[in-house]
Amino acid sequence: MTNILETKDLTVTFGGLNACDHVDLAVPTGKFVGLIGPNGAGKTTFIDAITGYVPTSAGKAVFDGADIGEMKPHERAQNGLVRTFQSLELFEDLSVRDNLLVAAYPTRWYTFISDMFHLTKRDEDIESRVDWALDIMGLNDVAESMPTDLPHGRRKLVGVARALAARPKLILLDEPAAGLDTAESQILGGHLREFLNHDMSVFLIDHDMGLVLSVCDYIYVLDFGKIIASGTPAEIRESPAVKAAYLGEQAGEIQAQEGERMRGQQQETGEDSD
Amino acid sequence: MSALLVALIAGIGAGALYAMLGTGIVVAFRGSGVINFGHGAVAGYTAYSFHELRVTGSLYLPWFDPIPEFGFLKTLKINNLPVRIDIFDVTDPISGKPNLALTVLVCLLMSAFLGLLMHFLVFRPLRNSPTLGKVIGSIGVFLYLSSMMAVHFGGQNRYDAGFSGFNSTAGAVENFLGLGRTIPRSNFYLFGAAIVMCVIVWALYRFSRFGISTRAADENEKGAALLGYSPQFLAGANWVLASITAGAAGILFLHKTQPAQIALFVVGGLGAALFGNLTSIPGATAGGLIIGMVASGGVEITNYDWWPEILPPSGVRNFVPLLAIILVLYLRGDKLPIRGSISIGRQPRAPKTNNVSIGVIAALGIALLLSNIFVSKWEAVLTTTLIAIIFMYSLTVLIGFLGQISLVQWSISGLAAYVMIRLMADGEKIRETDFVTNSGWGWPTVLAFVAAIVVAIIFGLLVGLPALRIRGVQLAVVTIAAVIAVENLLLRNPPLMGDGSVSVNPTPSPNWFGQYVGGFNPNTARTDYWKFSLFLIIIAGLVGVGVANLRRGQIGRRFLAIRANERAAAAAGINVARMKLLGFGISSAIAAIAGCMIAYKLPGLQTDQFEIFGGLALLAFAYLGGITTVWGAIVGGCLIAGGLLPEFLGVHFESIDTGLINAVGAIGLVVNAKVTNGEGVALLQTDLGKNTLAMLRRPPDDESSENLNDEEAKV
Amino acid sequence: MTNLTTESSSETMSDNNHLVEIENLSAGYAGVAVIRDVNLHVAKGEVVALLGPNGAGKTTTLLTTSGLLKALEGSVTVLGEPSNFSAPHKTARLGLAHVPEDRSLFFGLTVQENLRLGLRGKRSEQNAGYEAALDLLPALRPLMNRRAGLLSGGEQQMLAMARALVSNPKVLLVDEMSLGLAPIIVERLLPIVRDIANETGAGVLIVEQHVHLALEVADRAYVMSHGEIVLEGSAEELIERQDLLEASYLGGEIDEETS
Repeated sequence: MTNILETKDLTVTFGGLNACDHVDLAVPTGKFVGLIGPNGAGKTTFIDAITGYVPTSAGKAVFDGADIGEMKPHERAQNGLVRTFQSLELFEDLSVRDNLLVAAYPTRWYTFISDMFHLTKRDEDIESRVDWALDIMGLNDVAESMPTDLPHGRRKLVGVARALAARPKLILLDEPAAGLDTAESQILGGHLREFLNHDMSVFLIDHDMGLVLSVCDYIYVLDFGKIIASGTPAEIRESPAVKAAYLGEQAGEIQAQEGERMRGQQQETGEDSD
Repeated sequence: MSALLVALIAGIGAGALYAMLGTGIVVAFRGSGVINFGHGAVAGYTAYSFHELRVTGSLYLPWFDPIPEFGFLKTLKINNLPVRIDIFDVTDPISGKPNLALTVLVCLLMSAFLGLLMHFLVFRPLRNSPTLGKVIGSIGVFLYLSSMMAVHFGGQNRYDAGFSGFNSTAGAVENFLGLGRTIPRSNFYLFGAAIVMCVIVWALYRFSRFGISTRAADENEKGAALLGYSPQFLAGANWVLASITAGAAGILFLHKTQPAQIALFVVGGLGAALFGNLTSIPGATAGGLIIGMVASGGVEITNYDWWPEILPPSGVRNFVPLLAIILVLYLRGDKLPIRGSISIGRQPRAPKTNNVSIGVIAALGIALLLSNIFVSKWEAVLTTTLIAIIFMYSLTVLIGFLGQISLVQWSISGLAAYVMIRLMADGEKIRETDFVTNSGWGWPTVLAFVAAIVVAIIFGLLVGLPALRIRGVQLAVVTIAAVIAVENLLLRNPPLMGDGSVSVNPTPSPNWFGQYVGGFNPNTARTDYWKFSLFLIIIAGLVGVGVANLRRGQIGRRFLAIRANERAAAAAGINVARMKLLGFGISSAIAAIAGCMIAYKLPGLQTDQFEIFGGLALLAFAYLGGITTVWGAIVGGCLIAGGLLPEFLGVHFESIDTGLINAVGAIGLVVNAKVTNGEGVALLQTDLGKNTLAMLRRPPDDESSENLNDEEAKV
Repeated sequence: MTNLTTESSSETMSDNNHLVEIENLSAGYAGVAVIRDVNLHVAKGEVVALLGPNGAGKTTTLLTTSGLLKALEGSVTVLGEPSNFSAPHKTARLGLAHVPEDRSLFFGLTVQENLRLGLRGKRSEQNAGYEAALDLLPALRPLMNRRAGLLSGGEQQMLAMARALVSNPKVLLVDEMSLGLAPIIVERLLPIVRDIANETGAGVLIVEQHVHLALEVADRAYVMSHGEIVLEGSAEELIERQDLLEASYLGGEIDEETS
């Protein structure tokens, strides 16, 4: 099986501090890979490095068989390595549909000549791709709205749809569920696996452990810039290192002592939080 | 060699002014995060006030009488706003001139007052505006104070009412350092004054609680607020301090340069402030002195035989600040501070213009009709308006769509006009009234027109290059410095632009396919605007439709994407650098068309026409009309001095002073930045229309639904 | 919401001792609520921990409390005054000190200048506050003339704490003190908030990702998830009920298993 993305010893340094420390990570073609870790672990820095937004100080990244170290961010995007952003970063002055069209059309600079005479042709292939992206994110009814008129959750979905419209080979999702309420994040989660049916691989960062554990084929765990664990969702769920990273140092030990009691209490919580 | 050395040292005179202005710009920036283009104008206004107070005993307040004294308003006999206060009685032959110290004190108080006004009326209201809004605010200050100088003091030269030690009577140092040259003594005094100002402000920032908290808030506004410091109070205090330094600089330099010119010296001040990284007072002072010295040395070098004639002395002098700014931004652009604020407002909306063709055809028809009915005076007004509209389209593309704040576009118009004149000239006298003739290549009209546009595009791309590295207000700083450099280095340059370029540059009559379409018909040897009006209507229409279509098309979408978010644009696969250059190219081409049209209209051009003030005034009215839409440009073009609206008012009431029109425009600019966020009159009226319609349609529904909501809430 | 301390909640109904009172608060960014219907209070001399997974809305709650964010609904009362969104500096002057997540230090200023900016009140009070803060964080003493930007992460966090303490705060908010710090440093720093509450009677509200360290110093804790408070109780009770904590942190996955 080939890997669409592979990093070897990838290191990003900010003022003497390694935000990413020799990260080895692979995304197999056609698979859904997750990256989790506590706040400040270096997850977003990793995506920034892969997409060319921060310089790497060591190591290399291979995408689709080619070393992408020297490429500019827009070149990586044009090659099919497309990301979303943790913060909204939408084009606020363009309608939802226009947001997608910007990413979907491979425009040449001389297009302005035909643009000025309103002669630039529609590409039905691209338009239908945009329609599909709007559809899968449930944005059909707001296609002509401005992003600023939408609730926060749907704006996040516009960001994902924009990335989908760009025909990615690998889509990097940076906390798509952050700021969504439980219901919205479940709707998003329900659609994420569908992406794999459209010739793309998916790389997901999110805080929402429930979401990550339920959709990923394979998960890496990052803490202090280093990969501290990796495995299938089942392995990650049981990993004491993960619990330690999330709850603090002693969590692992205490967790080991927990037995039957846990299950009974769990139902109580479930009822109350509903 | 000794001459060069002496010239370098003599440069501390002008350098001291740059240093003082730079100090004030840094103070204002640290206090509020705004780079104040109007800082020099504060100095200029204070200098005029000082002279006026010293000579006539009257203090002119920085506003004008809003109640015009014409027409029926005369009969109302309303008590007008006081504009002049007579403080000293100078008719008294015994007391003579007012006390110097007292005069200085009054003037510094007034500049402090100007600082408060700027804070409360301009920059505090705009504190959460996007960068464009803040730049526009400081341009508003520049325009307003410059206009007020013209209105109150006539913009005329003032002679020496300053300190005896600082004026020409202080004499000169003969045989300076045994080098056989003289340097005016005042240069050394001014140098000393700049150093004293530097030390005082530096110490204030270093040791006082006010200074430390200012530095803290500058670095981290949130942190300062959490410790109990009001960022807005600190901003206000720093505006006062900055304005006092500006006022002091203005008074000290009154004898050296004319007050109206001091406003333009802000460019050197900006260079100095950047030299100090917008944070260091000693850095800004050193930077100002270095810029002054290098400029002075540069002018000296132009005396050498080997120096190419194509680089004139005044051009070299005015190029140095630009060079300094470019160097600093290039070397340190990434590290320059950008003052964050707790919340930042959004960009002005830029909706698509629909039904473009219908609208433009209708507008063309009306304009054509008007031009037929109107007498030649009105045709002159109409053509002025149309040319302004064409120019404003260039701002719509570059600032409105792409979000690149370039202040040099008007200079590009001038460059294109001068290039076209040079290419068309053939050494023959064009009109009996011309004083000079330009030699040239004698190109045909259309070819010269196209060539001028090509030159403008190339120059525009050059201007766009820094925009690949820097953005926002920094680009505005580079381009405002470029305005002065273009005027003095490229336009006012006989070897390059012909003999006419230093005086009134005679314009050839344009012949498009056998038709004379300019404002002057050589066949009849008379002024004739009829064909020119028609020609302009067609050009303005074509460009307008093109710009509106650009917004609707793929490139327009990409421009707006870049304006909204460069990071995300790159993630969407947009080559941001290439798109920016494209925007600069298109905008410069449109600006060039406008420039050529001015040359078509007027029998002769002067470089003054393309200096900072004119370009900023056009930007002001474009912004007032609406910077993001084609309709905004059309509205803006009608508002300018000499445009349809003011002339209409002038005919039907009484003519309005140009200075007042620009002052009103400047106020409108700031109000517009706050109220409509630059979407302007054009979009405001659409919104008002929509809201009014919505209200008219269903007031009862709204009420009932509100009641419903209330009931729901109770349940 | 699960309230583990039913009897204590009725006892705390009297508002008089509450330095911070948050009622039915919804707040967020750009008009979109990130936290919904949050109720919490901090009493005199009490350390309260606000726990929960990342993105749960803890920082948003603190930002709204100190007036950096606007409340969409509900109210925040600090020291008897409504927290004023437009003027966080006024809330600060009332006696609230907030150590934000990013610490908001002034890197260009020296340690001493940073501390000096925190001083408030009469000269004698200033001196007392200054000395008391440095006694709690003596490691800062030799660093007085160093620029804050040159300090290590732990020293920066100490400075941020000290800067908040010199103002003799009546309410102290500390956001993610442990962020980016080695656990050993956190173990040294965190108990300081306990000392402050005990010695000065200040009310302390901390947001902390090291749950167990936080519960060691806190009297009570609230656990947030997806913008809502899902669990509330005394520190002892929460330590007992590790299972509930984990459920809030690791999401709905465990729900599925159990059901």
